Amino acid sequence: MMLSEIQVISPRTLNEALELLHRDQAELKIVAGGSDVIVQLRDGIIQAGKLLNVLPLKELRFIRKAGNRLHIGALATYSDIIESELTCRHAWLLVNAAKQIGAVQLQNTATIGGNLGNASPAGDSLPPLYVLDAMVVTRSKSGRRKIPVEDFFVGYRKTAVRPDELIEEVHFDCLNEKDRASYVKFGLRDANAISVVDVAVALRGRMDDGSFSFARVALGAVAPTIRRARRCEEALVHRTLTDETIRQSSSFAVEEASPITDIRGSAEYRRNLVTSLVYEALSEAVFGK
Amino acid sequence: MRVEHIINFKLNGNPVSVKCPPAYTLLEVLREQLHVTGPKEDCAKGECGACTVLMNSRPVCSCLVLVSQAEGAEIVTSEGLMKNGRLNPVQEAFLEEGAVQCGHCIPGMIISASALLMRNPNPTFDEIRIALSGNLCRCTGYTKIITAVQKAAERWNHQSP
Repeated sequence: MMLSEIQVISPRTLNEALELLHRDQAELKIVAGGSDVIVQLRDGIIQAGKLLNVLPLKELRFIRKAGNRLHIGALATYSDIIESELTCRHAWLLVNAAKQIGAVQLQNTATIGGNLGNASPAGDSLPPLYVLDAMVVTRSKSGRRKIPVEDFFVGYRKTAVRPDELIEEVHFDCLNEKDRASYVKFGLRDANAISVVDVAVALRGRMDDGSFSFARVALGAVAPTIRRARRCEEALVHRTLTDETIRQSSSFAVEEASPITDIRGSAEYRRNLVTSLVYEALSEAVFGK
Repeated sequence: MRVEHIINFKLNGNPVSVKCPPAYTLLEVLREQLHVTGPKEDCAKGECGACTVLMNSRPVCSCLVLVSQAEGAEIVTSEGLMKNGRLNPVQEAFLEEGAVQCGHCIPGMIISASALLMRNPNPTFDEIRIALSGNLCRCTGYTKIITAVQKAAERWNHQSP
C-alpha cells in the first residue's frame, strides 16, 4: 500500500472514535504521536488501509490525581510527563524514563499510550509502569476494561487490546516520600538511543526498622516482554538493605532475562548488564545518587 | 487509488490550505508541495532532527507528523524566524560564530535552539546540549554551534524575537 493511498480519519470526540472502531475495526490502525506507526508504515513493517488519527482527542490528554491514584491519559506526551508537577512528585522514575526517551522532538509528540500500544520490549515507559503495578484502562463502545500492566502484554509486540478498543489511560498508586524508586537505562548514547537494557525498581511499605514490605524490579529489552525479577524482589523485602544485601539480591535478576543478540549488544553482554543495572538502580533508590 | 484531503494550517504566520494525501508526512508536504525546503529529510525516523519544525511552539520532527495531524496547527520553519527582514538572534549568531559547516543540519539546529530560547532565555551549557541532543551534525561542529546558542541567548533578552 502506497502512503498516498492510505485514508486518514480524524475523529473529533472519543465517542466518535469508539463508534468508528466498533464499525470498522478490522481496517483501522490507530495512530497517536506517530513516532512508531509512521516509521513502521514507511518501512512496510505494518500495512494499513485506514489510519485512525486519535491525536485530536483532547479528552485523552491529561495527568490528574484522584485520591491516591495518579491517572495519565493515553495521549499524554513525554513532555507532559516531564513537565507535570504531579508526575515529578508521585512518579519520578517515570519522569526519569521520559527524559531519556528519544530527544526533545520525540518527547513533544510521542505518547505514553503509544508506548503501551506499540508493545516493544524496549519501550522505556514500560518498566516504570510495571514496578508501579499500573492498571491499563481500555475503552470500547461497550465499556471499559481494567487490565494490570503485566497482563496487558501477551507476547512480543502483542497486547490484550481488542480491535474495537483503544487505550484510554493508565493509573497507579502515587509514590510517597517514604517510597524509593528509580529507573536506569543503558543506551549506546545519551539521546535518541534505544535501550540495550533498562531497569526500574520500586521499594514501598517502609517499616519502622527501615526495611520494605513491597519490592518490584522490572527489566526491559531482555525478553519478548518486560520481565519482573521475582526472586530478586523476594530477596529485597523485610530485610535490612545494605550494599551487600543489594548486591546479593541483584544477582538473582538475570534468571529472568532471556535476551537476544542484536546490533545493540550480545545476549551475554545484556545478561551482564542486567546484574549491574539492577544493582545500580537499587543503590540509587536506597542510598541516592 | 490516490486519496486526497484539504488540510489547513498556519505556516510561518500565513494560513495555508493544501490538497494532499492525508497520510503524507508534514515534511513531504512542506518540501514537495509548498516548496519550503528549510526542513530536510535525512533519516526519516526521528533520529537526526534535520526536519525539525515548530508545531504550536514546540520542536517536532516533521517526518514523524502526519500532515493530517497538522490540521489547525501553527507551523514555523527556519524560513519563518525572520522578523521585519531581520534574522533572529540564533540565525545571526550562527553566522557570526561560523557555526555552519556543510549546512545541512542547520535549519533544524536553529529551530531547536530558538525553541529553547523562547521557553528559557537563560539556558545553562547542559540545557543547550539537551535541547540540541536530537539534532545531529555529521561535520562534528557542535562546539561552535553551542557557542552560537550562548551568544544568541545573551541577545535574546534585548531583542524582541
